Amino acid sequence: MDVSRREALHRLTVLVGGAISAPTMGAILSGYRAKAQPPGWIPQTLTTDQAKLVGILVDRIIPTTDTPGAKDAGVVVFIDRLLDDWVQPDARGRFLTGLAAVDEQIREAHGVVFHDATQAQQNALLNRLDQEAVQARRERAHPLPFFASLKEWTLVGYYTSEVGATQELQWLAAPGRYDGDLPLEEVGPTWA
Amino acid sequence: MGMSLQTAQTGRAKVYDAIVVGSGITGGWAAKELTEKGLEVLLLERGRPVRHVVDYITEHKAPWEMEYRGRGDRQGSKEDQFIQSQAGPFNEYNAHFFVNDRENPYTFDDAKPFLWIRGYQLGGRSITWGRQSYRWSDLDFEANAREGIEIDWPIRYADLEPWYDHVERFIGLSGQAEGMPQLPDSQFLPPMPFTAGEERVKKGIERAFPDRRMTIGRSAVLTQPHNGRGICHYCGPCPRGCSVGAYFCSLSSTLPVALETGKLTIRTHSIVHSLMYDEAREAVTGVRVIDAETHENLEFRCRTVFLCASALASTQILMMSTSARFPDGLGNSSGVLGHYLMDHHFKLGAFGTVPGLEDRYYYGRRPNGIYLMRFRNLDARTRHPDFVRGYGCQGGAGREGWGRGVAEAGLGAALKSRLRTPGPWRMALSAFGEMLPRHDNHVTLDPYVTDAWGLPVLRVHCTMGENELAMRRDMKLAGAEMLEAAGCTDVQPWEDVYRPGEGIHEMGTARMGRDPRTSVLNSWNQLHDVPNVFVTDGACMTSAACQNPSLTYMALTARAADYAVQAMNRGELKVG
Repeated sequence: MDVSRREALHRLTVLVGGAISAPTMGAILSGYRAKAQPPGWIPQTLTTDQAKLVGILVDRIIPTTDTPGAKDAGVVVFIDRLLDDWVQPDARGRFLTGLAAVDEQIREAHGVVFHDATQAQQNALLNRLDQEAVQARRERAHPLPFFASLKEWTLVGYYTSEVGATQELQWLAAPGRYDGDLPLEEVGPTWA
Repeated sequence: MGMSLQTAQTGRAKVYDAIVVGSGITGGWAAKELTEKGLEVLLLERGRPVRHVVDYITEHKAPWEMEYRGRGDRQGSKEDQFIQSQAGPFNEYNAHFFVNDRENPYTFDDAKPFLWIRGYQLGGRSITWGRQSYRWSDLDFEANAREGIEIDWPIRYADLEPWYDHVERFIGLSGQAEGMPQLPDSQFLPPMPFTAGEERVKKGIERAFPDRRMTIGRSAVLTQPHNGRGICHYCGPCPRGCSVGAYFCSLSSTLPVALETGKLTIRTHSIVHSLMYDEAREAVTGVRVIDAETHENLEFRCRTVFLCASALASTQILMMSTSARFPDGLGNSSGVLGHYLMDHHFKLGAFGTVPGLEDRYYYGRRPNGIYLMRFRNLDARTRHPDFVRGYGCQGGAGREGWGRGVAEAGLGAALKSRLRTPGPWRMALSAFGEMLPRHDNHVTLDPYVTDAWGLPVLRVHCTMGENELAMRRDMKLAGAEMLEAAGCTDVQPWEDVYRPGEGIHEMGTARMGRDPRTSVLNSWNQLHDVPNVFVTDGACMTSAACQNPSLTYMALTARAADYAVQAMNRGELKVG
């Protein structure tokens, strides 16, 4: 943030005692729009097909409702970035293998790729993978299955995006005051 | 701050009244007190300059403005900050306030890891410190003598009490007076409030254990404007720097006041090589410096020195300052220099769910938690059979956020809708325990490894002893017992691997004491052997207590500065 913006923020905070609405504060602070998946974006680690499949999967985890879903919030870009230079090479390999297995499992059961399966067929598989992932976390398995990573990265990518933090949940860069005990209905959604 | 970095003058012509080494919490205090008392001071900082406000480059950054959404540059950290990135306060937003581990090596035995977490820049670790500030009491100052452990402190609470008052009035310390003898009250600004969950746990613990006390954290964060600094705006992550100066930091607080006197010169990129000891005068006459950027060797002359470089760095400087009179390090006629290294051991406690309160929530990010005062070994009645000393607990209660979705089953619109509402209240207690002083825990100059400037690095030997291990068993169990008694459900004790040093409360290695044969510093933080050298950072500590130590370092520094100036004015201090 440049100094003039910080000063503007500070002045506002002083003037209205912190009672600035979340969208206003977001607009002041963000300075730019969310990095959704920009048109013409080319993945670094994923292939185009893999990116397409990840896009479908993350939207099944966090779909578009009254607010945008994971893909529109840039989660595929985020996951591609993690795979590119954040995860260990072995974790990258496990993720890509797990991703391929999603297509394989559908093909074995129904003879089509994930994309062409019915929604019921897709959901049956994803719910099973989700149950297995939760169970593996409970047992502190290492390494965690593919779907555990996919779900974690989807939630992190979504709720730390500008869309997830400011539209789905609420975010204040500088609340201006602290109140430790308020009725939930006065506060609103979960703090991002 | 109009940080005018003046040109420091080398050579024989210029003699500073005092040279302060280090610009962190104690260096800032030494500079402020000494200049306000009229001394001309040169402050040497080994790191880069950091400008208040301008250089807080991530202050209000949102996660989506960061490369890795605040999760950190894991590969980059692995190369350059492989030690620093293991510390709790380190993250993607403030990594630039922690050292590069490749450029600043130290060594330890493989089986005995030690984390040395450092901030080599103007302001030092006062930028990233935890701000929790607690007085000691005579329970702490008398502990060694009472138990016959190592040596007695040469001071008592009464010696430090006016200096606690003095530093607290300047820094601004929010907290609640409780009247508990083991944790004396400070000069408080209004306390920060509890959350609904904390309020409930506090009542439950104090009902079940009437002599225990949970209070709001005593934090050097302003709850009202104070000494020209702005009130906290509850953005949360203080260690990125605060442009309104709402938390105490050298850059916002002490250094501007010292510069205002016109008597302070600050020189950054100045690595102290050693102190120059004059055998004839039996005093230090100056400081040898290596310019970190040009590698040029420089000498600055002075009448007195305040070492405030951090516990281990100040001791390292003394160890590197050898002469015929002090072949084993300046002021080390006792042979204890480098020994009795301590930290606070932690990374364990208990957590549980606070049932109910589904209709309560909070507004703002409070940069503070709760503090559960020490309750073990206060007197005969609270004596624990397995260990001496005690521990305090930090923590807090809040509602689970979207992160809970990671471990819970569920997908799709139902998951998204569920996470839009905050989850159950969770209360965490994290215990911080006293570590006893032991001769075995020590640092030496590594005979084989040097840094980029050719200086020998420190080799650290530090482990926990029997007392700490016994205490740790109780820290978990007592935490769980209190949460159970407070009505929490799903109570779980937890413990993670603690490596000495990661409390970032490293202390000792140039301890205070009455006897020059068993201690390095006297009751005024002055080298027994060389009266014009003072060490007022964590190196001076004779025992560790369990409270966060910075407030005590500040009080000791202000007290030593006052003594030094009076002694100089009376002509009692043999000076260079």
